[in-house]
Amino acid sequence: MSSKPKIGIYGLTGCAGDQLVILNCEDELLDIVGATDIRSFPMAMSGGDENCPLDIVFIDGTVVQPKDEEMLKRLRERANLLIAVGTCAVWGGVPAMENKFSREEVKKRVYGPTGDLFKTITPQPLSSFVKVDLSISGCPIEKEQLLQAVASLLHGDLPRLPNYAVCTECKMAEYPCLLIEKGHLCLGPITVAGCKARCPSYGRPCIGCRGPVEEANISSEVRLLKEKGFTPSDIQNRLRTFAGAADSLQMESLKEGTNA
Amino acid sequence: MKIITLPKENFAEFVGHLCSFGEIHAPIKRGDRSFVFAPVKDASEIELDCVRTILPLKKYFFRPMEVMFNFCAGEGYEIPSEVTDKRIVVFGAHPCDIHGLNILDMVFNGRYVDTYYLARKSKAAIIGLDCIPDDLCFCRSTRTDFVDTGFDLFLSDIGDKYLVRVGTSLGDDMVRAAESLFYEVQKEDRDAYKRKSIERRESFKTEIQLQDLPGIMDLEYESQVWQDVGETCLSCGTCSMVCPTCYCYSVFDELDLDGSSGRRKRRWDCCLFKDYALVAGGHNFRAKRSSRVKNRYFHKQRGFVSLYGRPSCVGCGRCKAQCPSGIDIVDVITKLRSETRV
Repeated sequence: MSSKPKIGIYGLTGCAGDQLVILNCEDELLDIVGATDIRSFPMAMSGGDENCPLDIVFIDGTVVQPKDEEMLKRLRERANLLIAVGTCAVWGGVPAMENKFSREEVKKRVYGPTGDLFKTITPQPLSSFVKVDLSISGCPIEKEQLLQAVASLLHGDLPRLPNYAVCTECKMAEYPCLLIEKGHLCLGPITVAGCKARCPSYGRPCIGCRGPVEEANISSEVRLLKEKGFTPSDIQNRLRTFAGAADSLQMESLKEGTNA
Repeated sequence: MKIITLPKENFAEFVGHLCSFGEIHAPIKRGDRSFVFAPVKDASEIELDCVRTILPLKKYFFRPMEVMFNFCAGEGYEIPSEVTDKRIVVFGAHPCDIHGLNILDMVFNGRYVDTYYLARKSKAAIIGLDCIPDDLCFCRSTRTDFVDTGFDLFLSDIGDKYLVRVGTSLGDDMVRAAESLFYEVQKEDRDAYKRKSIERRESFKTEIQLQDLPGIMDLEYESQVWQDVGETCLSCGTCSMVCPTCYCYSVFDELDLDGSSGRRKRRWDCCLFKDYALVAGGHNFRAKRSSRVKNRYFHKQRGFVSLYGRPSCVGCGRCKAQCPSGIDIVDVITKLRSETRV
């Protein structure tokens, strides 16, 4: 009989990259295993318990297939806390990039006739179906944020994740601004921090893989990108890549100065 | 004040001597047209014509992110030794940079003493260097284009020499360590210094009237200007990060998986962040961006004047130079003033 929190780690449709980040915590894995009771982690171990109640469930991936929705709802019933892990789980991610098109059309273009062999629904983040207690975004997630989240959850608390833009971390690290100096299509001002501005550190613009920061001022970002000569479709494509399902990133419904 | 001259041909040798006073940090190039203060090995690496670095000097003393102490249940807490160990020599601080540090000194060595800041500051030597303003500099308007205190040495370019003002006994030690490199001030040096000062003063292109600004800000509290800036502002935090006098920070704990140890950290905060004025229960005192923008300007140009007798803006132009959406403090203040005049 163990008093350690019972944990499950699951993946829906996606590349499973966030589960891989968990497995890549090589130096900390023993501490995690020591502090928790991992009951099921299908990607890493067989013979998991698929029925027991869970204290915490970590889920990566997007709801794309009907079976994802069923599994998600079942996990929600089993778990006290449900944690969305990765941009797919939090925002819909790459699978939700082309939600403007019908599923049938997308399936046909991607899979041809074999697309008829499986069912898909409009790709959506976990929060479209169930209550999510904590979101850890990133494509993939940052190992440090995951470990902080686990440590905080073990203490019965929620972690304090950045709620500010990538620009803040970019300037803290003193990287030259790629919007100003290079005129790149950088989403740093509207993307949530936590990556320590990894792409700008290599001279590459932020492509928004962590999803939008809360209250992102998209209309101002779009305006400044247009002034640099980017077309609405350049901008739209970049905005849609990782968080196409996010309401705040819909260019068609942009309101001037939201929450100004 | 002791004033001497350093011929430019002796400059590299002088910089070589400075190594014995600590690791030398000076402006170097980063990216296509940006500069940063960073460690240098010798004088040839130093970008003497750099107008402004991305981050101001606060980064050395008030770190973007730092561990305040490590803690462990049953054992107590311990401040990392790094905070107090290292000596550095900052070369190439412009007058506005030094004023920025003097303002941080007032705040961090005032009613509430910040030992982290002071421990690092006390281990640093500051060597100032004159500059030629570009069109974003408005330090003449903020009266920070010249500096009398806050440096150990201050170098002014007077042609083929530097006029060197010695500000502290540490500065004097630096000069004495390389005494043969320095000379007494001659009449032609005085003339050259005065001529250069006039040239510099006349090269300012940007000016704003700040004297009666606190009153005007109160009168224009409901101005449309704040709404307009709020619509443009991205809340990205850049202006605060790069501001020499933004000193807000946020404190938080990071826990280890063992359940009994961790560290308390602090990081630069910014009053434009949505969470900045969020309190328990979910109430946000400044939920709208326009009210946060207004707060930032009020703190710099209004509140700080009441507390310390001067605005905390030093006219360095970093906020304008780095703002992705191009918000220009001079433009904002000019608009506020013109509304008052109408």
